[in-house]
Amino acid sequence: MLKSMVHIKKIAVAGAAVTLVTILSIFATSYMSDFDTPRTSTTEGEFQKLELKQAPVLGYDTATVTIIEVGDYQCHMCKLWFEETRPQIVENYIETGKVNLVFLDMPFLGSDSIPASEATYCADDQGKYWQYHSMLFTYQQEIDDGWANANRLQAIAFNLDLDIEQFDKCMTTDDHFARVNYNKQVAVTEFGATSTPTFMIVNTDDGKAQRIVGAHPYSTFEDVINSLL
Amino acid sequence: MNNIFGLVYSNPSYILIATGFFFLLFIPLIIISEFLFLEPFLVFSMYPETTLSFSLIVILSFLSSLAVSMNIYRVKLIKETKKIGSSIVGTIIGASAGACSCGPIAFSVIATFGTAGSIASSFLTIYEIPIRLTSIGILGIVIFITSKSLSRECKVKF
Repeated sequence: MLKSMVHIKKIAVAGAAVTLVTILSIFATSYMSDFDTPRTSTTEGEFQKLELKQAPVLGYDTATVTIIEVGDYQCHMCKLWFEETRPQIVENYIETGKVNLVFLDMPFLGSDSIPASEATYCADDQGKYWQYHSMLFTYQQEIDDGWANANRLQAIAFNLDLDIEQFDKCMTTDDHFARVNYNKQVAVTEFGATSTPTFMIVNTDDGKAQRIVGAHPYSTFEDVINSLL
Repeated sequence: MNNIFGLVYSNPSYILIATGFFFLLFIPLIIISEFLFLEPFLVFSMYPETTLSFSLIVILSFLSSLAVSMNIYRVKLIKETKKIGSSIVGTIIGASAGACSCGPIAFSVIATFGTAGSIASSFLTIYEIPIRLTSIGILGIVIFITSKSLSRECKVKF
């Protein structure tokens, strides 16, 4: 009896050690893969691969610098960035015409992520993309807890005074499913994003770019944008 | 209990082990949880909403470093390893909570395990605080039992 208890404990310790090694390996692999890809800068050629011409733009088209935000509407770090950092960027750079912002969907966190992204484009069909985008981050809750189910997405559309019939038709026929998937593919394969939020800040005149991974504070964006202006 | 801490950490090697283990756990955890960014600049950032999460990481790292260093002392003293497993389990549980979030680990897990990975990742994110509290509880118990055991062993030895 005592021997078998000792045996079980040994197995438990070995199991714990294996789990620790596995976690460390996943951690190392995830972060090393980030370092394998160019992180601090990207070439002009790389940026030109991104076809974001149809993406809704926040700010003036004439802005020198574009921020491309790769995000998932269920990502809580994206919400924190949206609430804490983005307003300062909007006030100091976007409203002054120096910078504009594009959102690139990378819905991967849960089953409600893709419909949430689709809903923003259904709202865009009625000219309210950024309002819908803001509502999603404002009312974001836990991943797949129902805050972004079909009824809630419709309720947001209703609150924004969208034509509900048109919005519902857009959602049920998956009008923008291909577009969302394309964006996700671009984010992962061409942009090299492995987490959200990831940002590419690009000077559209000379193609110089800088990648920022994570919900960095305003100071990081201020430094990077100023270096690119 | 104070005597036991005094006994273990009167040897500077154990202070070094504890400090080393603290940073070994603390630094990766604050990078994973997006408190510390290495690129493009070295930046530390903490949003008001994440203060509790940061505090729990500090407590978890501190307790893990105590548990591990005390157990190493214990192993050297009585050549028995049975409580190291519990310390590792407590540390793993705490470290895994919130590690997924929206970061590259979640992306790897979801890409590898599909829906199951997505569910696991969501669970670890949603229950980050309770899981870390559980882990802190486990480590507290481990430290308490270890110190009791050490005081009993030391009485026998000395």
